[in-house]
Amino acid sequence: MKIKEMSLRDLALYISDHLRKHGVDVVLSGGACVTIHTENKYISYDLDFVPLHYTKRSKIRDILEEIGFVEEGRHFRNPQTQFFIEFLAPPLAVGEEPVKEIAEIRSGDLLLKLLSPTDCVKDRLAAYYHWNDNQALEQALLVCRDQAVDLKEVERWSENEEMGDKFREFKRMLRK
Amino acid sequence: MLEPLLDSPNKEKILIYLYTNGESYPREIARSLGLNLSAVQNQLQKLESGGVLYSKLKGKVRLYGFNPRYPFRKELEALLEKALTFISEEEKDRYYRPRLRPRRTGKPL
Repeated sequence: MKIKEMSLRDLALYISDHLRKHGVDVVLSGGACVTIHTENKYISYDLDFVPLHYTKRSKIRDILEEIGFVEEGRHFRNPQTQFFIEFLAPPLAVGEEPVKEIAEIRSGDLLLKLLSPTDCVKDRLAAYYHWNDNQALEQALLVCRDQAVDLKEVERWSENEEMGDKFREFKRMLRK
Repeated sequence: MLEPLLDSPNKEKILIYLYTNGESYPREIARSLGLNLSAVQNQLQKLESGGVLYSKLKGKVRLYGFNPRYPFRKELEALLEKALTFISEEEKDRYYRPRLRPRRTGKPL
């Protein structure tokens, strides 16, 4: 499949697999996980990857150049696709806590590691809690409606982030 | 105090400045700390790309502050709080006390 024909999910699989073959293990985070967990009910154009180990930016740049992605500021872009790639600094975390269980998607020989639905909801809620990002709140609600999410765990995490009130607000919205 | 950890005295000063003053912009940080503007911008960019700081545009000014989503934020703030106890009152007054009253346009420091 050519890059220009790839969906966000296809592209995430392709890129993470290409990086892994070059020794860079990454996990997909952010809004792109919402796109995948909701089967495109929300479309993100931004693929946020978190390397599992510290990796020099120049190494990532060289690996991505092989598949036509060129560094533009903090992003990497390829003229064949509207999606763009960003790398966030490790460690892989949601708020204050490390991500303990990483989800996986396989397609043929390709492997994509990404946030589980529960961690994806925490990640989106972190944006809502700390930045008042209402779009992120909507994304958290979409994932909860489409996937099995451990709300008890999200509640425990929210309390630890000192955001119990905002979690209860989120839960009220979920019931509507 | 934290140079062995942070590998840069400027980085330590900038972090303590942001910790005590909250959000700020490169020119103000450089002026307050008596540092070169490009050196401050360089450190701020490194800290932002490492996830320690966030930045946002307000008008034409880029403001920097501690990223609330940085997983070691509380621990870093505790470290900076401790570092502050080793700084003399004179140095605190000079560099790190937040200015609360407004500053008239064109007024010298």
